[in-house]
Amino acid sequence: MLKTSRSRRLAGDILTYVVLTALTTFCLGPILWMFLTSLKTEADIVTSHMQYIPRTITFQNYVAIWTQSNFPVLIANSLVVTTITVVICVLTGTLAAYAFARLPFKGRDKIMLGYLLVRMFPAVMVIIPLYVMMRTVGLVDSRFGLALAYTSFLLPLFAWMLKGFFDAAPKELESAARIDGSTRLGAMVRIVLPLARNGLVASSVFIAIAAWNEFIFALMLTTGQGSRTWPVGLQLMVGEFQLPWGVLAAGGILSILPVVVLFAIVQRAMVQGLTAGAIKG
Amino acid sequence: MQITKREFLAATAALALAGSIRPANAATAINYWHHFTSQSEMAGLLKIIELFGKAHPGVTVTQESIPNSEYMAKVSSAVVAGGRPDTGMVIAERFADLTAMGALTDITKRVNAWKGRANLPENRWTGMSQDGAVYAVPAYAFVDWMYYRKDYFEEAGLAGPPKTLDEFVTACRKLTNPAKGRYAFGMRGGAGAFKYVIDMIESFGSPIVKNGQAAIDKAAAVEAVSFYSSLFLKEKVVPPSTPNDSYRQIMEGFRTGQTAMIWHHTGSLIEISAALKAGEQFATAPMPAGPKAHIARVAYAGNGIMKDDNVDAAWDWISFWGETDAAIALLEATGYFPASTAALEDRRIKSNPVYQAASKTLEFGRLPNSFVGAAGWSENVVNPAFQSVLTGQLTPVQAVDRMIEGLEAALR
Amino acid sequence: MRRDHMKSVLPRGPITLLGNLSETRYWVYLLLFPSLILLLLVVAYPTLYGFVISVREMRLTRPGLNGWVGMKHYVAMMSDRVFWISLKNTAIWVTAAIAIEVTLGFVAAVALNRNLPGTKLFGVLILLPYFLPNVVAGHMWALLLDPRLGVINDLLVRIGILSTYKAWFADPATALAATILVEAWHGFPFFALLFLAGLKGIPEDLYKAAAVDGAGPVRQFRLITVPMLKTVIAAAVILRVISLVNSPDLLLVLTGGGPGNATQVLSLYAFQTAYREFNFGYAGALSVVMFILLMLFATIYIRLTHVTKE
Repeated sequence: MLKTSRSRRLAGDILTYVVLTALTTFCLGPILWMFLTSLKTEADIVTSHMQYIPRTITFQNYVAIWTQSNFPVLIANSLVVTTITVVICVLTGTLAAYAFARLPFKGRDKIMLGYLLVRMFPAVMVIIPLYVMMRTVGLVDSRFGLALAYTSFLLPLFAWMLKGFFDAAPKELESAARIDGSTRLGAMVRIVLPLARNGLVASSVFIAIAAWNEFIFALMLTTGQGSRTWPVGLQLMVGEFQLPWGVLAAGGILSILPVVVLFAIVQRAMVQGLTAGAIKG
Repeated sequence: MQITKREFLAATAALALAGSIRPANAATAINYWHHFTSQSEMAGLLKIIELFGKAHPGVTVTQESIPNSEYMAKVSSAVVAGGRPDTGMVIAERFADLTAMGALTDITKRVNAWKGRANLPENRWTGMSQDGAVYAVPAYAFVDWMYYRKDYFEEAGLAGPPKTLDEFVTACRKLTNPAKGRYAFGMRGGAGAFKYVIDMIESFGSPIVKNGQAAIDKAAAVEAVSFYSSLFLKEKVVPPSTPNDSYRQIMEGFRTGQTAMIWHHTGSLIEISAALKAGEQFATAPMPAGPKAHIARVAYAGNGIMKDDNVDAAWDWISFWGETDAAIALLEATGYFPASTAALEDRRIKSNPVYQAASKTLEFGRLPNSFVGAAGWSENVVNPAFQSVLTGQLTPVQAVDRMIEGLEAALR
Repeated sequence: MRRDHMKSVLPRGPITLLGNLSETRYWVYLLLFPSLILLLLVVAYPTLYGFVISVREMRLTRPGLNGWVGMKHYVAMMSDRVFWISLKNTAIWVTAAIAIEVTLGFVAAVALNRNLPGTKLFGVLILLPYFLPNVVAGHMWALLLDPRLGVINDLLVRIGILSTYKAWFADPATALAATILVEAWHGFPFFALLFLAGLKGIPEDLYKAAAVDGAGPVRQFRLITVPMLKTVIAAAVILRVISLVNSPDLLLVLTGGGPGNATQVLSLYAFQTAYREFNFGYAGALSVVMFILLMLFATIYIRLTHVTKE
């Protein structure tokens, strides 16, 4: 019995590694190729004989994107917009998600559907009236205005996802706290939020990435350098008479880096959250 | 919509008022929307801004780049929702739509009083005018021509570039060798394919639009589409990837030696010269003539005024582009063919054999079709219909029917 | 810290007040108020605007044509061939992409959740595609699958699966499938991330208890993992469906809807109608139809999955 369960476990471990390796190859292969492309000269990219390893390694593409695109400003703008978006979503969305998950009230289904409806109207048609509104209140070409626009479609997403995580957090602990005399607010802050911490972090990461990568709203609601974000700056590299693969690849690599760093930090927090939850549980 | 327009008008009026009470000696700031992208284009633009700053110290220009594919989206939303720039780039294909949506200001009076007008003959203005009113100052031109691999032609024993479509097909057969992965002609079947489909239809004798009415001659158009698609379907002298090949792919095909000929315009000369040696590996020639007409487009591009707040400064800026200094600065940086005849006399054009084909084309070339809705019809109807012929989902007759049907809907 | 504050006099007021308030029936409205007001402020007018222009004539390039046209655009849509093709393609595109993404995402999450040595690194690597902007992902795959410069073609030829480079996006038989592959690659980490977070939220005790009761891994999976994850899965799927139906960026970069409408979807069609033909009225009607279809889908979906229930 023991032996079979151990061998079964071993088989499971091997299978896990096989699956992970396969998936990683699928995910990483194209990015690795992009990285190689970013180090190649144009002659090694546009060639009739596939050049796997660059014949000469060049950092020219990175230099080009740095100088041509006003990179530091674009990245700073993206960071500011993303941060504002996440802060607004977390502050307001967490409350809403908690209400959806824990408080039965009349018309909850309808209000939840209402949140979703907000996301359903295609961006193509929302842009123009939104621009008119933003103009009236002077938020065109501002990072705050852009963040507000992002909030309009990321907040429902955030609330919905987080509601799922709240649902998954066991209710027994909360009930116990309530019996001990804690108010609903107290139980929410001290018990439920720590329990759903992973979900909170995952949902935040998710909307942060969505805001970081958004293109159409950023394009239409901003014009000046002062508020233009990184994806729009990248698309500017793509002209009618050229598509500089190397530069674009370098831009892609550069756009992953900050997100990877952020995620590495967040993952540590996620792990700590796990252990903290385990102690309490 | 009603509210939008009213708001927009009120805002414009308020801004105009603010503009008129500004002291005359303060520097006026204007902005300029463009879709220049490459390093060479940006270098040319910055040089022109620098020259302009010296000539007009009272005006400062802020350039704002818009991705080319989203340029019209951005302009149209500015027209509806407000936020227009002072000045903007106007290319021939987009002129009709821009004027129709009221994006450009009528500058006829200023043009007529302008001394620089002498350097820009009447045909330069045709593409920038509508119903006798001028809306933009031409600055440079994209002249259609053919690039061909001189070395491949010699190898195949061909004396020179084909002058007619018949010669073109004969040459194609000699130049194709699928075993070596070599095809005669880099045909554009993806985005932008409509350009040459329309050229073919006119080469075979059918007009597109006459007096604002759809005027496609079905028999001629079917003949044209059959001929052009046969290069892919029957002759197989173009790469198998043709149905998705757009500018980038045909250019890369030519640069990597996969194809021996491509059709494009003077705008890509710098890119090709960087990859292949002019005069040895590649040369240029006028487009081959069709059975009924010799079609090659000369598309002038220029700049227009989009907002009336700083109209004097805006005029200074857009007319500066038509002057020789600016034209030469752009030519030096990008190789773009100047619109001004004074600039055409420059030795960089006169003494460069590559440009001879373009100079020759200027004599017979015609403007692109310009009617309201042309861009939408070309991209959303002609392109998919032609692609469907290439992929065998439609016959040329069915495709032409769709084109006519779509054209009538667009003009309605 | 918090406890100290609560003992001091001043902050005690508001927090106790809030705590007391949280016991009343107004609490739920108070929780919903900030987000609701924010959404209404930003979204109400634009949505209304979309509905209004869908029953008006609004073609920027024909300023003369203006005014109410009632259901004209909707009637025209019924006989618009491209609309029906787009509808069909949208259904295929979304269904196939979601199916692949959920499967891959689930497999990845379960594997990562086994917490074997090195899984943390794998976790970051698998999420990388999702970090790329759509625009970059699109251009990059265009290069990978390029009929001349594409490394995937080269590899397939070397292995012997293909005899020559294939133009994946030029053949109507493969174009849609190729775009689905790209979307799946770009989108499945979304599910992996969410599912993983969901799995980590399931208390170990439940599994231990189940093991004591003699339940094997398969039973544990069926009785604990799936039910606990149900709302996360259900919510993730509907959110993804909505964003897939509504975002044209990837297809805009990869194929532009071609060849010959083979990859045309509703969102792209609406985008092209508005910003290439400047026919905002018809584009508005297309958007309204998409909205209604999505709403029907969401209503039925919510009924079936009970995702809004506790």
